[in-house]
Amino acid sequence: MRDGDRKNILMTEYNINKEKPAPENSIWKTVGAQTNPSRWDGARWSSFVDHISARGVTVHAGRADTSVFVSDAGGLALGMPHGVVRPSSASDISEVLKAAQEYEVPVTTRGGGLTTEGESVAFGGLLLDMSSMNRVLRIDPDGMTVRTEAGIYWHQLAEVLRRDGLDYLSAPLNLTSSVGGTLGVGGIDINSPRLGCSADQCLSLKVVTPTGEIVECSTDHNPDLLERVLLGYGQFGVITEATLKVRPFTPIIMKYFYYSSLRTAVEDLQFIANEDAADYSGILTIMDKAINLLVAFDSDEREKGFNLRWRRHLRGHGEINFGLRMAGYYLTHPWRLREASYLIGRRLTLFPEFSRPEYMHDNKIVDRTVVFSRAVWKFWGGSKMVIPDLAASEEKFIEAVERGNEVCRKYFRHYTLYCVGIKLSGRRERYEMSCIPPDARGMAYGCEFEPMLRDTDYSRDYLQSFKNEIYDIGVDMGLSYYRFGGMMKGYVRKAFGDELVDKHREMKRKADPAMILNRDVIF
Amino acid sequence: MFAGKKKKKGYEACSGCGVCLLSCPVWHRTQAMSLTRKARAKALQGGASFGEIAHSIDSCLLCGACEIACPEGIGLADLNIHQRQELNRQRAEYPGWYPDESVLKEKREKNTKAEFLFLAGEMLGKNNEVCLAIMEHFKGDKRIALAGDDGQDIARTMEAGLPLDGERVERFVSSLKPAGTLIVAEGWLHRPLRKWLPGKKILGVGEALLSYTAVRKHLGPEDLYVIESRGYHADHARLVLFYDRLRRETRWQTNLDLQRTASSTGASSLQGRKDLEASGCVENAGKILKGRDVKRIIVEDLADAGAFRPATDKPVVHLGLLERGNSSS
Repeated sequence: MRDGDRKNILMTEYNINKEKPAPENSIWKTVGAQTNPSRWDGARWSSFVDHISARGVTVHAGRADTSVFVSDAGGLALGMPHGVVRPSSASDISEVLKAAQEYEVPVTTRGGGLTTEGESVAFGGLLLDMSSMNRVLRIDPDGMTVRTEAGIYWHQLAEVLRRDGLDYLSAPLNLTSSVGGTLGVGGIDINSPRLGCSADQCLSLKVVTPTGEIVECSTDHNPDLLERVLLGYGQFGVITEATLKVRPFTPIIMKYFYYSSLRTAVEDLQFIANEDAADYSGILTIMDKAINLLVAFDSDEREKGFNLRWRRHLRGHGEINFGLRMAGYYLTHPWRLREASYLIGRRLTLFPEFSRPEYMHDNKIVDRTVVFSRAVWKFWGGSKMVIPDLAASEEKFIEAVERGNEVCRKYFRHYTLYCVGIKLSGRRERYEMSCIPPDARGMAYGCEFEPMLRDTDYSRDYLQSFKNEIYDIGVDMGLSYYRFGGMMKGYVRKAFGDELVDKHREMKRKADPAMILNRDVIF
Repeated sequence: MFAGKKKKKGYEACSGCGVCLLSCPVWHRTQAMSLTRKARAKALQGGASFGEIAHSIDSCLLCGACEIACPEGIGLADLNIHQRQELNRQRAEYPGWYPDESVLKEKREKNTKAEFLFLAGEMLGKNNEVCLAIMEHFKGDKRIALAGDDGQDIARTMEAGLPLDGERVERFVSSLKPAGTLIVAEGWLHRPLRKWLPGKKILGVGEALLSYTAVRKHLGPEDLYVIESRGYHADHARLVLFYDRLRRETRWQTNLDLQRTASSTGASSLQGRKDLEASGCVENAGKILKGRDVKRIIVEDLADAGAFRPATDKPVVHLGLLERGNSSS
């Protein structure tokens, strides 16, 4: 063997994976063809950059700096900013926004980039990468609060709080949502039936308004701004700091109930929420065949109370009982064995993730947010994520889920539904024109409809048609949506009506005269 | 963790979820998204050249945490090295922290035959006190020898992404074959050694020493135990359970984050070997310590001691010296 050959063999053995240039037919080669036709043309960009640079704000405009922001978690909206700023303070953002008003440069804020309708994608202009503002500023164990910069990811916050034996109350299960981004849209967790959305756990904020003023707001101080910014989809200011409630950290005890009827499962979910029977509850399905109602508890006492008082009211089965029923069904429907095979495969790969030994102590899940979030990315993540949703009052929810399920069945062989309750805290101004449905009282419910896209190359039009059919259910039934911005902003007027939208647009115009802040999201 | 033994995916599979950031010491220190593995994947998907992301490639400390964190099961550890190889083909000059000729030279000493062979590595090999203390632990009932050829030149060559001499690797691998167990201080070497010597038992210094009750009994809740990150991530599925058992036994604090990846100072990296301060290793150590109530820091990797000392006034002790009650290492 020649020396050169020997070397090559060793190099090849060591380097299993080789990085290659993107193939010519790659979607990434067409990034220049923006998906939003209203891409900003770059007028006065240079003057804008000179202006803020002179005030100590650095703009990163190289390809390595901007290309990471080409899309969001949805993967369907593609756009590039002209430049990126990584702010280190509210003052940096103030300088950016003041200059943006003057030069009419659009500014897009981005935390974890986990939007799915392109809300955090910049179609030209400046992108504020808020993840640079991620310090925990103060933990008050007596008052059970934390003050943090708002670009921090919830997972980073959990890492810091854990060192004091504390935890946040609720946050999206994905690890990389930012605090600021979440407060701007709501934030749903499986403890939301008890604790409400993440935004409702916020006590005060520091906000940079679209015209560059730095303002502190709470229910006592500038309450109007607080109500506009929370659930405000980034329209009325950039959240730079937040004070949030915290709680003692606890491992949780999980229980699973299996259903073959969506309606029955949803009724039981609502029963649990209404009776406050569990600390955590939610529905996760494999199509509409295996419907899993999960409940969990922060303490042995709560679990004991559930077993004594509420367990017998639930109509779901244990896993073995359900498995036997399913076996019986598929034995009498042998032409559906392929579906059975999928269900079994999914069960065998997914459920062990929820009981990984390094996360289980004394039969309790430690770090449940990590366990659930990693499973979410592993089993539902991908380069494209299409997750239309419906948010409904208690009365309308079952019909919304069933109609949405029919749409999923029509479009996809494999999909998942995720349902959870959201406790409302009174009738807050912040709920107006938000994901909270206008007719919800006390409790709202949300359902995400997520097709399994892996290994199938659906066209953009096909996926958009699916989303439209789900969103049309919302218009027809008078519901709301968790993701109602960005590429589906055409539904905003349909869902809320001209009068309400015009009222908010007028408020936006007053707060943001040049309409530069997150301009492609709602208005 | 997720990838199993099947061939791992390439950068094109990156969905941009950003979970890798959460375990990346470079991102934690700089906040610069462009310096992350996610950014490199996205730039390459967009058609960028390796030269355009050179700064990002060079900033990587190769701790391996991103591969464990990646839910897509992308083989990031290999890809990070491959990027260096590709970049080396394009660049006109190397960064100042690249190893020089003397480091990349093969040692003249040969390996003796022994049941247990201890590959001390560059730093431990120069520290007689710690090295002998470690050897003493094994002498009671095992036949152990200190490796004359510990493959340092190979480790540094691979880490730098420079061409590897196949014959040199063959000589090294052949000299290790007679040993039943290899105790390898250099975490970097664990991954290639497992490929070159399948079935061979390869332990890090931490795992080897912690198998002794006499060592474990010195550890307690007031200790911050710093796991050597490269070796840990190279065999994560097994070691995460090993250290979890020990955590329950000793109630120590560790540098494991909530995803069970080991937060790295980067002190063993090429950049760290050149300048701990300039490469951010001391700052990384400070971040690991932040908010922790500990009285002592125990390190598996001697290089970590150098990063922690300027960051704290608490004693920093190598695991091998624990039984001596020695606070220096």
